[in-house]
Amino acid sequence: MGHRQGHRSCEDHAHNAQGGGRASVTSGGIVAALALLVTGLSAQQQALGPQTDPAAIERGRALLGQECGFCHGANARGGSSGPDLTRSALVQEDEGGKQLGEFMKVGRPDRGMPKFDFSASQYADLAAFLHNAIYLASNRRLYKILDVLVGNPKAGESYFAGAGRCATCHSSTGDLKGIGAKYDAVTLQGRMVYPRRGGVPGSPAYEDRNAVRATITLPSGGTASGAIVRLTDFEVTIFDAATRQQRTWLRNGDTPKVVVSDPLQAHLDQMLKWTDADMHNVTAYLASLK
Amino acid sequence: MRKTIVSAVSVLSAVALLHAQTPADSWPTYHGDFSGQRYSPLKQISAANVKALTLAWVHRLNTGANGATVGGEGPDPRPGGGAPPSIKSTPLLVNGVLYVSVPDHVYAIDARSGREIWRYFWKTRGGDHIGNRGVGIYDKWLYFLTPDNYFVSLDAATGKERWHKEIASMKREYFSTNAPIIIGKQVIIGVSGDALDVPGYLESRDPESGEVVWRFNTTPRKGEKGSETWPDEYAMSHGGGMPWLPGTYDPELNLYYFGTGNPNPVLAGQSREGDNLWTCSIVALNPNTGKMAWAYQVTPHDTHDWDAAQTPVLIDGVIDGRPRKLVAQANRNGYYVLLDRTNGEHIVTSKFLDSANWVKAINAKGQPIRNPEKDASVPGTLVSPNTGGATNWPPPSFSPDTGLLYVGTSQTFSIFYLTDTDPHPQGWAAAERNTGNVGSALKAIDYRTGRVRWSRPLAMTATGSTGGAMGLLSTAGGLLFGNDGGGNFVAYDAATGKPLWHAGLGANTSNGPETFVLDGSQYVVVGAGDSLYAFVLQQ
Repeated sequence: MGHRQGHRSCEDHAHNAQGGGRASVTSGGIVAALALLVTGLSAQQQALGPQTDPAAIERGRALLGQECGFCHGANARGGSSGPDLTRSALVQEDEGGKQLGEFMKVGRPDRGMPKFDFSASQYADLAAFLHNAIYLASNRRLYKILDVLVGNPKAGESYFAGAGRCATCHSSTGDLKGIGAKYDAVTLQGRMVYPRRGGVPGSPAYEDRNAVRATITLPSGGTASGAIVRLTDFEVTIFDAATRQQRTWLRNGDTPKVVVSDPLQAHLDQMLKWTDADMHNVTAYLASLK
Repeated sequence: MRKTIVSAVSVLSAVALLHAQTPADSWPTYHGDFSGQRYSPLKQISAANVKALTLAWVHRLNTGANGATVGGEGPDPRPGGGAPPSIKSTPLLVNGVLYVSVPDHVYAIDARSGREIWRYFWKTRGGDHIGNRGVGIYDKWLYFLTPDNYFVSLDAATGKERWHKEIASMKREYFSTNAPIIIGKQVIIGVSGDALDVPGYLESRDPESGEVVWRFNTTPRKGEKGSETWPDEYAMSHGGGMPWLPGTYDPELNLYYFGTGNPNPVLAGQSREGDNLWTCSIVALNPNTGKMAWAYQVTPHDTHDWDAAQTPVLIDGVIDGRPRKLVAQANRNGYYVLLDRTNGEHIVTSKFLDSANWVKAINAKGQPIRNPEKDASVPGTLVSPNTGGATNWPPPSFSPDTGLLYVGTSQTFSIFYLTDTDPHPQGWAAAERNTGNVGSALKAIDYRTGRVRWSRPLAMTATGSTGGAMGLLSTAGGLLFGNDGGGNFVAYDAATGKPLWHAGLGANTSNGPETFVLDGSQYVVVGAGDSLYAFVLQQ
């Protein structure tokens, strides 16, 4: 969970990773999480690191396929008679093939595991492959999303124009022209559901065109409006686009009066309405707008 | 000093009734007392005078090694220290000294002046440094856990190390965050980590030797009760269930209550058909033996990382005119449950997160049963809440004066993409992409019915609603201390949720607030990021 990205919790359980970004939640925890990210300590979020020798991994993969795959599967996740090696405590605790080699030299004949007389570098290659597989399983930031475009573009087009009311604000020949060529399918689907981006380097969130806005009724009777930097029970700070400055008023109860407007309100409302099938269909439709 | 510490701890141990209080000048265990209510009978600070609450001191944690007592098995620290820590522990207060921790660091701070007495620096080998919930104290000894899985004991007076014991393997992606809870002579700790598919366990350790007294496995072994809820021994021995937060205790029943973590693989259930006991459960066990008395699974066959580690809050209440011993939990899955804590009998289930969209039905036992269509899928499934949950680890509060359970919530959404379609997926097995939050709020739940009595929206920014889960404290002064999601520490009217006082700390509070009396003055202490703040009434 979004530790690196933005949810406070994971943390809380230590769940890191979310890939591409759309951090939506901000809190003190996030500030800390971002600080970690920026200072490069994020590697410490996980005990395991990547294997650094791709050639050794490939040699290990080939060796496993030849010598071990029959029982343990070509991906080492277990086969007809042998257990998943990547979940084996012995393998996980192994250091560079040392413990693995000691075990394999003896085998476990009583349970059908023969002994293997490999060279030290072969044990190391096998270990490199296995530790790499373990690392990839453990690091969800690296998971690759598969085929997202399973929906029916025609059904998506109907939903776009009909029940989804997307056409109220958007047009396939206007703002969305060519959108399918602009984004990959995962990004497209994510932005379709929720187009707002959080602050990105060099661009504060309040300068995003989709920033939530506030209109404040001033004591003088006039009004001020702008993107919300911060709105609490005790203060309101907006970004005044004309002067490019932040302006703050302290609040006491509902004074001064603040009215919030979110340019993405329709997307928030729709978030509660999407079926997954409709979501996939509209994604397929938008992806077809090349 | 030793004598005073012993007396504070023995008073805690002797608490016979839930509402018997620990001494006003101490906070000797994670929740202040064993109930998990985080309710204080102190009322010097009240709704009538809270406007006069003012800063007594600020203490910013020093994470440098220079001047610290140094221990640990890792390499020497880099000069300059690391990133600023976030205080997630609730400091203990014993004999005028606050003991607070962040990953790899423990501090003794003079509670009157806010000055450091000593600090301890642990040289880490690595591991997930996501947080540390706090220290435990027994006699003159402190206990804490490290991200690289050591159980460490320090001399409370000096910060010198007594011993450290390894409790789990870092190479299997275990890490440790729990605050030790001491019941009698049992020091109860648990492990964390669900990046690989390893089994969870809770342990009691001997306070003198640090060795294991008993171990409770959070998934069954072959032939044990609960094993019928897994397809095979292999699945349950890789089934997760990390007990990563401190629990609560009823001395009369001699039962310890704690929540277990999510099953593994985390977001894909195809290799673990069945309910997957005892994951995502509230478990009651005998702290002397580690034997389970009963368990209630709040999320059967979880597929969204919604552990049940949130505080099981003990309440002595009245249901249908009859006094009952109860346990309540506002669960990460968006539902509130109320049980009879003598036997686990279900009393109430109620939805407190409006946006939650994953439940097909509530079954006869009151359990929310998932809609399998809301499991992660290859093309993506839109789910609320996200993996962070409706709420999370920060401790809630219950006030017996108002009958309300207070909890910070957020209505997040994510698209869950199944990435590992193997019949035996591994690790998380799916990716998550956040798609926003339709509204965070501080909620007050009527413990008897589960109905939300009041709900107060939290702060807004340019990206929408913000804040959510937060540490809370209620008091007999009619106050509820928490944050507003916008960097303010706030005293709310506990009955209505109206804000009565605030301090702009600039960062949201990051731990559970606490209160105590020293020299006749009531203090409120809270952490926000790397600093502790203490408040007292202006004289």
